[in-house]
Amino acid sequence: MIVCVAVVGHQNNPLYIQSFTDADDALKLHHIVHCSLDVVDERVNNPKKSGPTLNDTFLGLLYPTENYKVYGYLTNTKVKFILVTTDLDVRDADVRNEVPCCIC
Amino acid sequence: MGREVSESCIDNLLMEMVSTYCNRFYANKPELAARRIEAIGYQVGHQLSERYTMERPRFTDHLEAIKFICKDFWSELFKKQIDNLKTNHRGTFVLQDNHFRWLTRMSIDQSPENGASGEPSIIADDKAVESMHLYFPCGIIRGALSNLGIPCAVSADISNLPACSFVVRIKA
Repeated sequence: MIVCVAVVGHQNNPLYIQSFTDADDALKLHHIVHCSLDVVDERVNNPKKSGPTLNDTFLGLLYPTENYKVYGYLTNTKVKFILVTTDLDVRDADVRNEVPCCIC
Repeated sequence: MGREVSESCIDNLLMEMVSTYCNRFYANKPELAARRIEAIGYQVGHQLSERYTMERPRFTDHLEAIKFICKDFWSELFKKQIDNLKTNHRGTFVLQDNHFRWLTRMSIDQSPENGASGEPSIIADDKAVESMHLYFPCGIIRGALSNLGIPCAVSADISNLPACSFVVRIKA
């Protein structure tokens, strides 16, 4: 289940954040999104570690926290889409297909 | 998804925009009119580049982004690609379109009653009018490139119609 979606502009300014759980969790989700921005920057600036996925728009699993998994997608115009989900069984490929649908 | 309009509508809109900005809004200040038109083009290019780069993998360097502008972006806008791309490998690119769509309907007024056919002031006026029309596509290119992370300056060169060259200088 997706608990939070965030769209972040190219200067790391938040454009849209929407959480889909109870209100007291919202701040924690915002913090998670904020931390994942650093991971995105790291992936983009470290070509050695990224390897074959250098030019991919979909960044894959950014980092797993205790309950959540965070996925990232980076467009050509440096707009980042961050997806926080609680679904522990979800696979990379499924998320990879869902994100382009969300953009349209 | 979106609505479509006929191409003549776009042509008319552009002509009207240039003439309004030059003759009504900034009647005696052509530099301001030019700047305003270029700013409109910047906005349009900014948003169009977002839309057209949606599905693609990311660009590795400046040359890839310029090639995207020459091929995909230009085909979406003008249904053809840029005919010639030159670079000095030091941040300057020249994009040449041999039949620029928005200039094909433009004529050069060569009225014979103005004495010698080479009167410099008449020719200069025509060039000024044509260059006004080119600020919009310059702005589009600049907006698209800056959205892709490449700040630059774009100018146009119309030494021989209907061919048109856009000179892109990347700011280091």
